[in-house]
Amino acid sequence: MNLLRAVLWKDLVTEWRQRDRVVAMAVFALLVVVILYMAAPPGIGAESQQHVPGLLWVAFTFASILGLNRSFALELENDALAALSMASGDRGFIFLGKAIANFVLLFGVQAFTTGAFGMAFGIDFWPILHQFAAVAALGALGLSAVGTLFSAMAVRTSYREVMLPLLMLPLMVPVLLGAVRATEGLLLDGVIPGSALQLLVVTNAVFGIISYLGFEAVLDE
Amino acid sequence: MNVPSAPGRRLTAGLFYTVLAAWAFAVWSAPIDSVQGVIQKILYVHPPLAFGAYLGFFCTALFGGLYLWKGDDRWDRWSLSSAEVGVLLCTLMLLTGPIWAKGTWGKWWSWDTRLTITLLQYLVYLAYLLLRGFTEGSERTARFGAVYAIAGVVLIPLNYFAIEMAAGRAIHPENLGDGSLGAGMGMPFLLGIVVVLSAFAYLVVRRYEVACLRDEAARREVEATGSEGAWAT
Repeated sequence: MNLLRAVLWKDLVTEWRQRDRVVAMAVFALLVVVILYMAAPPGIGAESQQHVPGLLWVAFTFASILGLNRSFALELENDALAALSMASGDRGFIFLGKAIANFVLLFGVQAFTTGAFGMAFGIDFWPILHQFAAVAALGALGLSAVGTLFSAMAVRTSYREVMLPLLMLPLMVPVLLGAVRATEGLLLDGVIPGSALQLLVVTNAVFGIISYLGFEAVLDE
Repeated sequence: MNVPSAPGRRLTAGLFYTVLAAWAFAVWSAPIDSVQGVIQKILYVHPPLAFGAYLGFFCTALFGGLYLWKGDDRWDRWSLSSAEVGVLLCTLMLLTGPIWAKGTWGKWWSWDTRLTITLLQYLVYLAYLLLRGFTEGSERTARFGAVYAIAGVVLIPLNYFAIEMAAGRAIHPENLGDGSLGAGMGMPFLLGIVVVLSAFAYLVVRRYEVACLRDEAARREVEATGSEGAWAT
């Protein structure tokens, strides 16, 4: 538990002092929103709003990849990753510390992106803010869990920036589909469909367990 | 060094070529479908390839898991060999599918649950091969590959549920039940499955031999130069 707290605290303090990762993610997300608006401007009427949840989650996903790539790249400086793998205690706690830190950053960026997205696409998120925050958090949990595991792998490959999305995106489909359907339900009908919520919860549980167990094998001895 | 013995290779090769000949004859003499015409004969190739592809993916994860458990390099070689053969069979399946689809559905592709899952699974295993290619160090490559292969297989049911929920339009036929094939079509279909499975076994054994030889070459290079060679499984 101490290991978890130490890793989480280290990551958050590093980010607070530098603020480079979260700023880069937020600016990138904003750019994605602008590009998406230009590529697919929403029309008038309910039907044109159907693609909006999907576009929003595209922005979240791209921003998350940018941030997750940095998560372990930071640890390469001064060979901190080797030191981290030598830490005594369950390596799963290192994973949890990193994943929670990534989740916090991603959730912050999601809040900013949602605001920008709402303004650009003319969507009022206020009436559904609490439920939407829950959906965004569930999506961010899935992205952070798998992203942290694969980021630890990708950082050890020769094409690490390219490798992370290649590894992560095909496995993110259940999270993205669940999150998009849940957001769609909220925006169009004001309720989260039960099946989407179920999918998000189950997927997060499965991802969490796989990533927690798999992380042991991913860190070098 | 543990290269599979020649009988293993001869047995799988012999089985493959024998069944291949029988299958070719059976497909040739099978009746032509009254509705779809001659294009229906893809039935004897396409679903068997799908069985082979999925067998490859499950073997990759299974052998990957055994590698993580036992730490024996041989399991990693089997895992990589299964993945490469699985990707090959999946490529052939994804090529034959659209040909059949264009002939019967009138379009090359449909975002049906089964097609989507297979495409995603294909992308997962392409990413698996890229991951192995871009990772340095054979031991690390084996560990990363095993973790990714297991994650890829565990997610098949989740993907299935997700895509069913999102799309819900099934155009691809369900599994073939008893009696769903016309008279004279059952035997070539069964032989097609045996052909693909024996081809799978033969190719995996050959690929395993290559992996063993490469590891041996790398070991000799290290011995000769005193530095780690560029070869990896």
